[in-house]
Amino acid sequence: MARYGMALNYKSCINCRACESACKEENGVLLLKDHYRIWVGVKEAEGEFPNISIASQTYHPSQCQHCSNAPCQMVCPTNATYYGTDGMVMVDPVKCILCTYCINACPYDARYVDQRTMTVDKCTFCSDTRLAAGETTTACQATCPTKVRVFGDLDDPKSEISQLLANKEYRQVKEHLGTKPKLFYIV
Amino acid sequence: MKVEISRRRFLQGSVAMSIAGGVGLSSSSMMASVAAPAKGKLSNEDKKVATLCEMCVNKCAAIAHVRNGVVQKLDPNPLFPKSRNMLCARGNSGIRALYDPDRLKYPLIRDGEKGSGKFKRVSWDEAYAYINEKLTKILDEEKDNRSTVAFCAGEGMAEHTFKNFFTMFGSSHFLNHASLCLATTVSGYSLTIGGYGQSDLDNAKYVIMAGANRAEAIVTPDTMDFFKRTNGRGAKLITVDPRFTNTAAKSDKWLAINVGTDLAFVLALTYVAIKEERYNKAFVENYFNGFEAYKEHILSSGYTPEWAEKLTGIHAADIYEVARDFMAHAPQAIYYQGRRTTWSKNDFQLRRAQAIFSAMGGGVDVKGGICFGRGLPLIDHDVAAPIYANAKSRIEKDEAAVVGGSGSWVAFRNMVLENRSPYPIRALFNYKHNPMQNMPNSAKTEAFLKKLDLVVTIDTMPSDTVMLSDVILPECTYLERTDPVVSYGGIEPSIAQRNKAIDPMFETKNTMDIMLGLSQKVSKSLFEISKKHDEDVQMAIEEDGEEAVYKDFDLTKPFLHSQEELNAHAVEKYEGAAQMLKDKGVFYPNMNEYFKKVGVNDYEYYPENKRAYSVLNNKFKTPSGKIECAIPSLAKRGIDAMPMWKKEYEMEIPAGKFRFITGRHAQFTQSGTNNNKLLLNLVPQNYAWINARVAKKLGIKFGDKLEVSSKAGKTTIKAYPTEKIGPDTLFFVHGFGSYSKALSLAYNNGGNDAAILEDGIEPMHGSTCLHDTIVEIRKV
Repeated sequence: MARYGMALNYKSCINCRACESACKEENGVLLLKDHYRIWVGVKEAEGEFPNISIASQTYHPSQCQHCSNAPCQMVCPTNATYYGTDGMVMVDPVKCILCTYCINACPYDARYVDQRTMTVDKCTFCSDTRLAAGETTTACQATCPTKVRVFGDLDDPKSEISQLLANKEYRQVKEHLGTKPKLFYIV
Repeated sequence: MKVEISRRRFLQGSVAMSIAGGVGLSSSSMMASVAAPAKGKLSNEDKKVATLCEMCVNKCAAIAHVRNGVVQKLDPNPLFPKSRNMLCARGNSGIRALYDPDRLKYPLIRDGEKGSGKFKRVSWDEAYAYINEKLTKILDEEKDNRSTVAFCAGEGMAEHTFKNFFTMFGSSHFLNHASLCLATTVSGYSLTIGGYGQSDLDNAKYVIMAGANRAEAIVTPDTMDFFKRTNGRGAKLITVDPRFTNTAAKSDKWLAINVGTDLAFVLALTYVAIKEERYNKAFVENYFNGFEAYKEHILSSGYTPEWAEKLTGIHAADIYEVARDFMAHAPQAIYYQGRRTTWSKNDFQLRRAQAIFSAMGGGVDVKGGICFGRGLPLIDHDVAAPIYANAKSRIEKDEAAVVGGSGSWVAFRNMVLENRSPYPIRALFNYKHNPMQNMPNSAKTEAFLKKLDLVVTIDTMPSDTVMLSDVILPECTYLERTDPVVSYGGIEPSIAQRNKAIDPMFETKNTMDIMLGLSQKVSKSLFEISKKHDEDVQMAIEEDGEEAVYKDFDLTKPFLHSQEELNAHAVEKYEGAAQMLKDKGVFYPNMNEYFKKVGVNDYEYYPENKRAYSVLNNKFKTPSGKIECAIPSLAKRGIDAMPMWKKEYEMEIPAGKFRFITGRHAQFTQSGTNNNKLLLNLVPQNYAWINARVAKKLGIKFGDKLEVSSKAGKTTIKAYPTEKIGPDTLFFVHGFGSYSKALSLAYNNGGNDAAILEDGIEPMHGSTCLHDTIVEIRKV
């Protein structure tokens, strides 16, 4: 059993959105408005032309944080949201009754309603598509021009992600909520 | 191929088969093609095919996953040094281009007024016969002046196959994107430092990107190499742009420059470096030609930062700082060449000035500078092309100082339209080019296309230009064809090949098959026209007999071998290459030894000591073998021998109006992807960038519809008020707002820049000036 997480060299992100398109094609996400498992959070530049603060415009690739202490899992009345193998937070569409508690509970806004199945959907770290087929990368990671994402096993001290987190400074999003997220932003 | 002496006069050159090959028309492949991507229609198969992307010009290596004859997913192929194991948003959307319901599926002939959008479905043979009849009539009436038929092409691996038909046909007119895109920077750098080169952004320590926007207009491997190293991680980036782009957001300094004044900025940088003697003196002394005169010219002209500040809007202090920092980091310092450099009238001089300034730091042919790299030559397999005595020279050859083999599109179009052509231009063959959207003033382009007697367009999608054609020949997409093998020279050279993932759908064909069918149909009847009007041909027939002479004029020659056969032949000298290219899509010598996985995402292609950073031994490929400060031969043609600023470069922007600029973002490629469902899901349309404070004054809010108008025409587009652009500039992304109703998603979606751009040209190559249009706006 592994414990999968993802480190993001977000400073390398150029907001080209290759990751979003790869995710959609890999995981069959419908091409509808507000249907996305991953996204690039853009903070618009501050200042008045021509004095724009360069540092103010940032690109933050994001997705489900696969929290170890996931609020979405806690609120789900039917156990549709559950901890799958390798520590991933998963949704069982058969059990989902679309009460949307999880969507409200998720502090990261990582969930949406799939209009085809009328159930909640979100990032699975490509576990059912790529990992199941023997791949070791997620679609968003593999396609990225500047190689922002490093996916791997947090429990394996020799993995690249473990090495990276051991040697680089990083921060996490909304850590104070006690969600224990597994996305790490390298600063 | 041996050619007898008596017919030598007919040889005007040759066409290289290695880049001309293609699959012979085989009925079995036609029969096997699927009419729709129906799952499970073919036998169970699950395969991975090494292909090369064609969603833009970069040609990234990809793996197509094919199940039951359907392409399911595209993944990056890590083996290709140039694309560094990635696919961008467009690369990922290739399947949507393959299965776009709006694709051209069958040959069509116009069945109504031109532009009516009415076409009838015909067989390939009927289409060829129609072309043959029209073409024969035109050439008979024009007494075999082959140049009355023009050829134009968009960029792509099959462009060369199409061009072989053009060469065999014998017209003087070939037109492509060069004069709408990169002609000025390629020649500016080539004539100055001996080549356009490759910026080594993996090792450069200081880079000025002016106008170039590599975070959005992705170029491989520049984009991938560079943005891992910006933001305090090894490379300093200075972005010079009238807009705050994604590239600006990644830079150490953004200099908002007034549109069209970059040349003044570079001249002032040069001034500082010379005045303060900060340039690489040893390099300049040894490897520059004419530096003393250039130095004298820069100093005596008074190109001070204070002078430049008034023109560019960039503070003099910033210019001093950038010039000093650049030289302090040199030779690992680059003034980035840029690619789409059709901005203003001074563009050629701007690129020359950039190249000279960059070279003054010594950063040419060195690691971290502009490199020329090494090539991996392919074996050519040539056939002789005939020469036609009555074919006249280019009509627009005197419209600019140097009109090269790709022509000046705007000058050509306007001469035809304004009846300034010395002889009539009557037909146009078009390969996957969309002049309706890629050339300024679409009203003129429409009138031009309507004026021609015959327009034949090969394309995959019903573009605006397709809709104004007489005959439409549907090409298959890149995922449905094997293309000519290509060698990519550079710091880490390699050979790559696009392999067919699935058979062509519907009745589409690859360009090779199309050219074979067409040439088989027209070759003999066109030879009859030459026999009738060409005295050289008549004499040769008397001497050698008709059969022997026809052999030289047989247009089918470049299209008779299979592409696989030609590809294998082209790489014969590299052991195992042919099989490797078929299986893996990429080959370079010692690949098995050199190629290493060095991380979960990262690969090494060549060991450091095998990379071709320095190859010239300081003998540059210029006339003097040195960096050329002056080019006196151009002065005779009215082009300044040295870059200088002229009063005529200054452009007034009347109060209440805007200077319009256009450009790219990372989700679309010009007008070629504007009907792609996945990309439109990411970015539904383009928006007009207008300064937020100006917008507020005018009562314009986000999403308000604007009419943007100029002397050329008008278009409507939604507003995006932002502080990322100055108060007298207006911008929107190129390629949207198509007129073609057959593009169900792109039709009338967003603003069309071709409708409003004025069509001035610069004096060197007759390249168009896309940033010289004044526009006004009105809320509608």
